[in-house]
Amino acid sequence: MRIAKGLLYALGLPALLVLAWWAGTTGAKNFFVPTPGALVSTFTDTWFGNRILTDVLPSLGRLFVGVLSAIILGILAGLLIGSVRWLRALTEPVLEFFRAVPPPVLVPVLMLLMCITDGMKVAVIISGCIWPVLLNTIEGVRAIDGVLSDSARTYGISGWARVRYLVLPSAGPQVMAGVRQCLSIGLILMVISEMFASSSGLGFTIVQFQRSFAVPEMWSGIVILGLIGVAMSLIFQFTERHILRWYHGLREVENAA
Amino acid sequence: MQPDINEHTRSADAPGAGRVLAEGTAMLSVRNLKKVYQTDGRPVEAVRNLTFDLRPGELACLVGPSGSGKTTLLKCISGLMAPTEGEVLLDGAKVTGPPKKMAVVFQEYGRSLFPWMRVRENVELPLKNQGMAKPERDRLVDEALEAVGLSHVPKSYPWQLSGGMQQRVAIARAVAYQPEVLLMDEPFAAVDAQTRADLEDLIRAVWKKLGVTVLFVTHDIDESVYLGERVIILSSSPTVVQEDLLIDLPAERDQLNTRALPRFTELRHHVYEQIQLAKTGQRPAAASR
Repeated sequence: MRIAKGLLYALGLPALLVLAWWAGTTGAKNFFVPTPGALVSTFTDTWFGNRILTDVLPSLGRLFVGVLSAIILGILAGLLIGSVRWLRALTEPVLEFFRAVPPPVLVPVLMLLMCITDGMKVAVIISGCIWPVLLNTIEGVRAIDGVLSDSARTYGISGWARVRYLVLPSAGPQVMAGVRQCLSIGLILMVISEMFASSSGLGFTIVQFQRSFAVPEMWSGIVILGLIGVAMSLIFQFTERHILRWYHGLREVENAA
Repeated sequence: MQPDINEHTRSADAPGAGRVLAEGTAMLSVRNLKKVYQTDGRPVEAVRNLTFDLRPGELACLVGPSGSGKTTLLKCISGLMAPTEGEVLLDGAKVTGPPKKMAVVFQEYGRSLFPWMRVRENVELPLKNQGMAKPERDRLVDEALEAVGLSHVPKSYPWQLSGGMQQRVAIARAVAYQPEVLLMDEPFAAVDAQTRADLEDLIRAVWKKLGVTVLFVTHDIDESVYLGERVIILSSSPTVVQEDLLIDLPAERDQLNTRALPRFTELRHHVYEQIQLAKTGQRPAAASR
């Protein structure tokens, strides 16, 4: 019963929106807005074929590699910069500068430096995704509780053990907040990196459809991007709940008090 | 009947200093300890000159008016902070960082346990970190949890427990670590009165069972007299030892009877008076150098 209710809430609004869309498009014939039925049939024709292999999977692969590298690099660099005071003072202004540069403008630059390769596209994704992870990790490491840190010290927990048992879990909530932002930026940059000179990938295909006035196909590409976003968010929520179970429990107790 | 307190129980060797033992017989020695902080470029003297000794297996309480540098002193003793002058000796060796033979229980139990670890993992972590083998680790953790009366909640997270129980976990972690010196920084200041009484008895029991040297910092006069074999009274800031008092109560103590003893009341009065004197700035002679 509770599951059914949850499902009803989750699917209620999408169902209403599709209904409104259907009502708005069935009568009028607008070349640029397909009906839901037409979109569904176009969707299957367009994407359940060769395109999965030539466009969807390569794009997802680059997105995965880019986001994962950004998370790992961001956390490692964040741990280092967050723990060493002089390093933080040295890097902070520079980091603020790089963070302020909108990553799409790096696409032409990276294209010149790295040519049009998968590496270039992954680099674009990393260059935009790393900042929320990095800056949040630095903040998380900096904000470790003094008493907790003293406790660890009195029990001789130092070096790698300190990172593993104290620093990483303690910064966990902040790091995960950064990862959440990193995922949505990653999806945007995946598309953008493929829009400039490219010959495959979701972004490329959608732009191609648009230029050749294949309107339902273009819409179906946008739907695919939305679905990828939803899937990423679900995976993230599941992982986050697993990793930060203690944090959500603790917050609940604190809020109840 | 009772002898005058000042003639028989006062053991300060010199004004402004606590009892000093013969060389090589003390477990913990604090010698001419001074700590000056730099805040906003202005030096603030938290501790002026502290000297006292703890013999092995002793349970001493440290009381003082608020702001008398108790926490600073404890941080210096535990090696978390370097003193400006003077030194701390643990079993004859100078303390320069947190020593292996020492465990600390902090007042803020909610902030001293790892919230991402279950009770058992919290107690186990220092042992695991030492590279102790699993069977021995398990035995020590079981014993420690048993000793503090928490063997039924090993799988809970600390924040799922009440304040008193969380502090028990912190005590269990300290006990499992098998320290020679146990430092406690106002450990029961944040728990309710009934829990506090239970925890006081728990500390006496653990101390007797393990034979560990305990330095218990508190601002509660009753607690210091009830718990300690000795009470070291600190002056107000700048801090020196106001008095080093032997507590000649019977070794078997319980909340009702011990606290009802006339001698308990006398000692309590005495400590209270001394602290009032300390607050008004009356200091032991020759200490204000």
